[in-house]
Amino acid sequence: MDVFLQQLINGLVLGGIYALIAVGYTMVYGIIQLINFAHGEVFMLGAYFAFTLVAFFHLPFWVAVPISMLLCAGFGLLMDFVAYRPIRNAPRLSALITAIGVSIALQNIARIIWGAKPQPFPEETLPSFLQQVNPLEEPNIYFSFLGINFTEVAIKFPGNVSLAYLDLSIILLAVILMVGLNRIVSLTKIGKAMRACAQNRTASNLMGIKTNQVIAITFAIGSALGAIAGVMVGVREYIEPTMGYYKGVAAFAAAVLGGIGNITGAMVGGLLMGIAEVFGAGYIDPIIEFIATNVGLGEYYEAGTISNSYGSGYRVAISYIVMIIVILIRPTGLFGKSTGHRA
Amino acid sequence: MRNWLIGLLLVPFVFVLSCDSGNQVRVAVAGPFTGNAAAFGEMIKRGAELKAKEINEAGGIKEINENGEIRARQLTLVFGDDVGTEKEAKAVATRFATDRRILAVVGHFNSSCSLAGKSIYKENGIVELSPGSTNVDVCQGSDWTFRNLYRDDFQGAFIARYIKNILTEYKTVSVLFDNDDYGRGLKDAFTAEARRIELEVVSEKAYDRDTTDYTAQLTSINADNPDIIFVSGLYGQAALIVKQARNLGITAQFFGADGIDSPEFLKNAGAAANGTLLTTPFTFGAGGEEAAKVAEAFEAEYGVPPDTWAALTYDAMGMIAEAIEKTYNSKATLAENRKAIRDHLAGLDTPEEGYTGITGLTYFDTNGDTVNKPAYVKIVKDGNYTTAEKQMLDIASQN
Repeated sequence: MDVFLQQLINGLVLGGIYALIAVGYTMVYGIIQLINFAHGEVFMLGAYFAFTLVAFFHLPFWVAVPISMLLCAGFGLLMDFVAYRPIRNAPRLSALITAIGVSIALQNIARIIWGAKPQPFPEETLPSFLQQVNPLEEPNIYFSFLGINFTEVAIKFPGNVSLAYLDLSIILLAVILMVGLNRIVSLTKIGKAMRACAQNRTASNLMGIKTNQVIAITFAIGSALGAIAGVMVGVREYIEPTMGYYKGVAAFAAAVLGGIGNITGAMVGGLLMGIAEVFGAGYIDPIIEFIATNVGLGEYYEAGTISNSYGSGYRVAISYIVMIIVILIRPTGLFGKSTGHRA
Repeated sequence: MRNWLIGLLLVPFVFVLSCDSGNQVRVAVAGPFTGNAAAFGEMIKRGAELKAKEINEAGGIKEINENGEIRARQLTLVFGDDVGTEKEAKAVATRFATDRRILAVVGHFNSSCSLAGKSIYKENGIVELSPGSTNVDVCQGSDWTFRNLYRDDFQGAFIARYIKNILTEYKTVSVLFDNDDYGRGLKDAFTAEARRIELEVVSEKAYDRDTTDYTAQLTSINADNPDIIFVSGLYGQAALIVKQARNLGITAQFFGADGIDSPEFLKNAGAAANGTLLTTPFTFGAGGEEAAKVAEAFEAEYGVPPDTWAALTYDAMGMIAEAIEKTYNSKATLAENRKAIRDHLAGLDTPEEGYTGITGLTYFDTNGDTVNKPAYVKIVKDGNYTTAEKQMLDIASQN
């Protein structure tokens, strides 16, 4: 049970990361039906911007993160203006190819500027609660509640289940930003304009909505969220030019799973993908063992012909299998509405 | 007029061809200069460059022709980036093997890459001398592939015996391994030996090099409460693994192999790296006077101290240069010259014939493997590698 709880937490954290990135894909797709493959690279740039501000300009973390978000928002605007706006009315395939081109270009530019080697986020610049846990030292417990200990850097549940504040803040950020974004889209004027554009761009234009402006704002918001995700992942793991690629593909799959174009869907899809991946990695081996011994292959299993240790190496495949099954059953994703014109 | 133009176009080609038989000998260096293992690649490049520079400053590679005249040639390096992937390794191998100016190849680094290039080098008859591949099969089945360091079956078994004999307070081990040729091979060697000497392995879990989250595997492993977690993989992933393990509150002792022997491991893992034990084919701390001199020259040149891989590449380059110097004949064809280098290396098959470099004596068995070199144990202390207090250097007693 402890292991199950810990795996659930692991899955939620990974899912939170996917969800934060997935929103960027889904927002842009919702409005202009463009799969912005370069969004993963905006996420990477967000991490690098914050890293540079902290490491070379010696800004405090709390200042660096908003600036990095602003920079990425500006970058999103620029990307839209330079790469996508000129071909707004071209066939959709042109825009898709452009997006892939932008993605490859940005990856290589980052490699030229910051180098190919991974960079850790400088630990000493982080606020203390985001810093690393050292389990070898007895932690200072701030207060306890129902057997749950709140220490300097992590929450310790009974049974050695632990949740670092860093990981907790990823989940919280994902939820808060998602709810906030949903509010913006459903309650504000710009949100209304976004929804109008998503329904019919030509008609919105005729109604006096400045569609190019709305699209630009969408890019800016999506990119700013990508930047936060980038910083959190950079702190948790490390920063490298290809970090946006693998995470980006998984997040895109999450957006599709949730129903691309739908913000709640991106959130749920992200969490589902994360949980599927973690549970896949955690439980595939016992499942293989169970199946092997129950279909009469036990002897091969004992002899090592069938191994119970390789399954977790295919964790990513497992999460994609879950996605494919969902898409087979619901082709528009969990929250997607089936509309005629979407291919 | 047209003929004149064609003639002009041919000028550069003629020039290139004439350079070839001129005063250079070319040796290729293949390694992961970008990608997941780029930190290793950088050190390999520098180790090779330093040796080549020293050789050239000492007058280059000398050939004495039948008239007794000495002709010195400069050693020129050609670098090929295999990105640490099999696909790119094959492309690099094909490029080197079919390049009519290249005499031999130092590389590859990753076991998967050496294995991928092996058949290409064999078909084209060119030596591949790896300063970093430890997978058991690397030299198997080809007369053209050599390496100047130990194999994973030795390293994996060594780690099992070290834990059993030296780290007696630790009883149970879990293995977390990279699902590639290196990680799997090392893990198999480790578990086979552990079974033989009755060291308890409580669980094994694989991971994929392209993922960056290992919490799921770590949580599963920790359910069995191992005293030691043996990470059979490379530095980048290992850094994340120790970091994420500490975040999960896992207190087990970490043990790694030469794949995590890189300053990048220390940099990326930060404080979480402290206390990690690892094996390595060479450590400057245990090297001789000659090694210390090279380390000094290296640091003067590049501003950072050399690591294990720079040292092994330095020696590999030295072996190739010596082979060229002893066998090169400008009258012979390329194929003959390449074959002569191979025959010379294959002839280094006894301790007396062997090559003595900064990493010690190297000689080959009939496979092209080096079987005499010991493994050293290092420990991470305050963010630096230091030679561990207890070593197990006697090869004979290790078996």
